[in-house]
Amino acid sequence: MSRSVKKGPFVVERLWRRIREQKATGNREPLKTWARACTVIPDFVGHTFAVHNGKQFIRVFVTEDMVGHKLGEFAPTRMFRGHMGRK
Amino acid sequence: MPRVNGVDIPANKRVDIALTYVYGIGYHTAKLLLEEAKIAPSMRAHELTDEQVSQLNQLIERKYVTEGQLRRQVMQNVQRLKEIRCYRGLRHIRGLPTRGQRTRTNARTRKGPKRTVARKKSVKER
Repeated sequence: MSRSVKKGPFVVERLWRRIREQKATGNREPLKTWARACTVIPDFVGHTFAVHNGKQFIRVFVTEDMVGHKLGEFAPTRMFRGHMGRK
Repeated sequence: MPRVNGVDIPANKRVDIALTYVYGIGYHTAKLLLEEAKIAPSMRAHELTDEQVSQLNQLIERKYVTEGQLRRQVMQNVQRLKEIRCYRGLRHIRGLPTRGQRTRTNARTRKGPKRTVARKKSVKER
């Protein structure tokens, strides 16, 4: 089920503000964030985020293709290490 | 047998059904096409005149992406998901369902035939 267009994409304002600050200063430090639900907007392209996956911050370098996805999609919350090996 | 849209050769079925043999044309689109071409859906595919066939060809060409082109499009979309390493892409890579379905049971379409895993030995036996 997709989101109503009327509302526009969900972007965490704080993050967006910090991106704009980075743009102004030319600083490209990874931005630590817990905002997994935040949609990636074109402004984010070329910036790096450190998205929390519940345990660590996963580095995500945003490319153009990622626009429209949520930040959380790039930081998997589960890691599958395989089922019990032989004994 | 009439050839609609390149290589596709629907059988001597009703045209509405025959058209669905084209990849990218389902029953719904088939009905819309026939309506626009003013062809009775109950006609058999082999009864179509050459004119009607070419008319259908044109309509499909103009409005829909079908066959190889469509397949390529789908593949590219999946490829994109894989490249950006998003959750859906990772699921595609693993061959698991991408839309949050359960995988504890079922999900056989994605996972393929069952691969039985030996049962865990009970604690006593060890």
